[in-house]
Formats: sequence, C-alpha cells, structure tokens
Amino acid sequence: MTVSINSPSLLKLGIVSAFTMFALGACASKPPATDTEAFRAYEQNNDPLEPWNRSMMQIDQGLDTVFFNPVISVYQTVVPKPGRRGVSNAIRNFRTPITLVNDILQGEGSRAGTTLRRFLINSTVGLFGLFDIAQHWGLPYHSEDLGQTLAVWGVGEGPYLYFPILGPSSGRDITGYAVDNIGIDIMSWVGRADNPLWWQVVYFGGLAVDIKGNAKPALEELKASSIDYYATLRSAYRQNRAKEIRNSAPAPLPGLDDFYDDDGDGDPFSSLETEKASVQTAALPK
Amino acid sequence: MMRTILFSALLIIGVAQANAAEATMKTDPTAFINHFSQVSIDDILNANIDTVEKTARFRTVFNDSFDIPAISRFVLGRAWRRASDSEKQDFLAVFEDVIVYTWSRRFKQYTGQTIKVLGTSPDGDTGTLVNSVIIDLAGQTISVQWRLRQRGEGLRIVDIIIEGISMVITYRQDYTSVIRQNGGIQGLLTELRKQAAETLPSKAP
Repeated sequence: MTVSINSPSLLKLGIVSAFTMFALGACASKPPATDTEAFRAYEQNNDPLEPWNRSMMQIDQGLDTVFFNPVISVYQTVVPKPGRRGVSNAIRNFRTPITLVNDILQGEGSRAGTTLRRFLINSTVGLFGLFDIAQHWGLPYHSEDLGQTLAVWGVGEGPYLYFPILGPSSGRDITGYAVDNIGIDIMSWVGRADNPLWWQVVYFGGLAVDIKGNAKPALEELKASSIDYYATLRSAYRQNRAKEIRNSAPAPLPGLDDFYDDDGDGDPFSSLETEKASVQTAALPK
Repeated sequence: MMRTILFSALLIIGVAQANAAEATMKTDPTAFINHFSQVSIDDILNANIDTVEKTARFRTVFNDSFDIPAISRFVLGRAWRRASDSEKQDFLAVFEDVIVYTWSRRFKQYTGQTIKVLGTSPDGDTGTLVNSVIIDLAGQTISVQWRLRQRGEGLRIVDIIIEGISMVITYRQDYTSVIRQNGGIQGLLTELRKQAAETLPSKAP
C-alpha cells in the first residue's frame, strides 16, 4: 500500500463516479415537452436520476439502521452533550482551511478575516478548538465550501444526487465536496504518503458520526412531518444550500406560477378573497 | 363613591391600554411576532396542562395567526385550481390537523428557547418579512423568518422560513410529489388523513 492511487479518498471518488455511471442507466422517464405541466414539474425537480437516488436513500437509511444509529446512540450515551459539542467544535476548527480557502475564492475578504481570527482564537484560548470562544467574542461561525464557491462563480447546480453516508447533494456540490476533502482538508492528508487505510476510515467515519448525529433530530422531524420524505428532503436541501450560497441574505419570494397571482400584484400570498374577486371581475364582459 | 369612580377610571385606562396594544398588534409586525411568541411560550409551552389541552390551545392560536386558505392554495398549487369545493374544504381541515399535530409533538422538546426579532423588511404586496432568531439556553441561534400579510382582521402569517427552508415550499414539493404518484388530490387526502390519525396526540405522556 504505497502507491498513492490506492488512496482510500481516491477510491471513494472512484466509487462515486461508478455510482454515477450506473445511475445513468436508471433515469426517470422524461415527459414529452408537449405535456407542459408534467414537463415543467420535471424541469423544476431537476432530478433525472430520481429512481436511482431513491434507492440510494434506502441504502443510506439501511446503513443508518445497522451501523450509524447504533454507533451514534453509544457515542451519545458515553459522551455527554458538552463533550460532543467540544468534538464538533474541534472538527470544525481543524477543517477551517476549507472555509478559509473558499472565503478567499469568493472574494469575501472580511469573512476570510473572521475565519482566520476564529481559527487563531479557538486553537489557542479555545484549547485546540474544543471551545468556540470566538463565537462569544462577536465572531460567529460560518461555513463555506467549493460547491458554494462554484455557485457564486455562476456554475449551475447540476442534477440532484443522493449518496449513501453523504446524503443529499448535486452534481456541483459533490464535485466541490471531493476537491474540498481530498485537496484542501489537511486532516485527510495525514499519513497519506503511507496510505494507512485505518486513518481514512477513522477520520471520515468519525466525521460521518459527528455530522449524522448533529443532523439527526432535524432530519427525524422533517421525516415525521412529511409524507414523501425523499421529495421533502430534496426540497429542504436545495433551500438550505441556496441560503448558504446567499450567505444568509433575506429569502426571496417563492417563485411565482402565473396562475397563483390572479390579481397581478406579484404576490403569491394575496388573500383568497382578493384573488377570487379579481377572477370574478376578470370574467365579467367589458 | 370616590373609590368607585377611581376604580372605574382605572378600569377604563386599563381597557384602553389593552385595546391600544391589540390595535398595535394588528398592524405592527414586530409586536405581532412578539405577541405570538409570548402566547406560545407562556400559555402553551410553559403552561402546566397536558398535551391534549396544549394542542387545543395551539389550534386556536394557529387559526388566529395564520392565513390557512392562502397557505393551502400555495401548497397545493396546480391541484388547488382543479380541486372541487368539497376537496378544498377537506384539504383545509386535514392540513390544519396535520400542522397542529406536527407542532404539538414538538412541545415536549421545548427547553427554554426564546425568539428575538432582529428587524423587518417589506415583502410582497401588503406584507412584511420579519427576521428573527430562536436562541437556546446555550446561546446557539437558529434563523427564523416570518412572512406576514395584512388582512382585514389583522396580520397573518403565510410562511415560516427556518435556516432558509420555507415551510410552504417544502410542503408544496412534498405534496406535489404525492399527488403525482398517488393519482391526484384524493390520494393526497388519504395520506394526510392517515398521517393525522397517526400523530393525534393522546393524554398518555
């Protein structure tokens, strides 16, 4: 195991592309352009691999059931909440380069400054990142990644993709994820020359346990409040990414379909009475 | 006699102040959200009553604070246009149940979070977007935005956006997918009724 091509990270990338190739064989059937409503819904979902993605979600949920959930529940029993928060803080801290590089790539000078100051404060006063001291000093955390940078540069989202362990993604986001984690994340470099498989497994496995554990309550909530969890998660993922790309600027009004706006005021939330009245007025002969 | 006059005067002042507060709440988005969160926290979340009673109180607050028909039309989209009047009525009823029960399940998870309004901006035709954060006891914040619309009877909530995720858009894409797969709005109504029955809160803890 000395040849770098055997690196588990590259292996992972290989698996990802193999998945993508197979997925091409499992495309959702595209409705004819003449069926305008179905066609528009298809375009809006931007999920040509839907049947494939749905089965990937099932595999992911299966892995959660047999492996991640038991591990998470042991971890949460053994390590109390403040300890787990310390671990999450430390992970965030040593993955700072990903955010810093992407702050810079997006030309966000002051955000890059915040990221750098946070790293210096938390690595020292915050005991190697275990405590997020900077947050209390007016330097709140933000994350950036290459997927967001590509979006800022005008790269389109690409099709929706779902990966086991990683969860929801897109053509753009998975590309960014691969580069961030193989190229920029210093932790993934550790011992790469000697290729110790155990380090990559422990590191990325630990990362998955931390991320999945933190996301669990929100995802369980989303699942319980939805009927089609797959469609709901796809929607929630995209909206949350859009917010991250906007760097939390106010949400725009939801996209209008012409017929929601009978009274023509550009607002999809006019009262039903107003809309009804305008329909009736419009129906009257002039 | 003097005492009666004084008492009546105090009473009148008190009523006048209550009316003024209510009038402000009808048009001032910040006052509206503050009132909504205060009622939710004091009269529901922290009240010493069982889940069934909390759910009943929340249903009243939900009906008084949200424009459910406008939300329903947005959530169903194309299907709302095609639905018959009775299907619309059925949807309004079961959708209200689903939301009320979904929220009531969260009551138990309440651990002292508070809502802080950060600011407002104009939104849509007669609306306001209220920016706020939910702060927990450890100081962690979650961004929450409220889309409000001015109606005759006062301000009404038409959407809640949590960390960029809009409630109405998410429901809409969920339900659109169900309608597409289960053959129309009747299929969706069946699924929603099932969901409401499963989440119906009981007196058992």
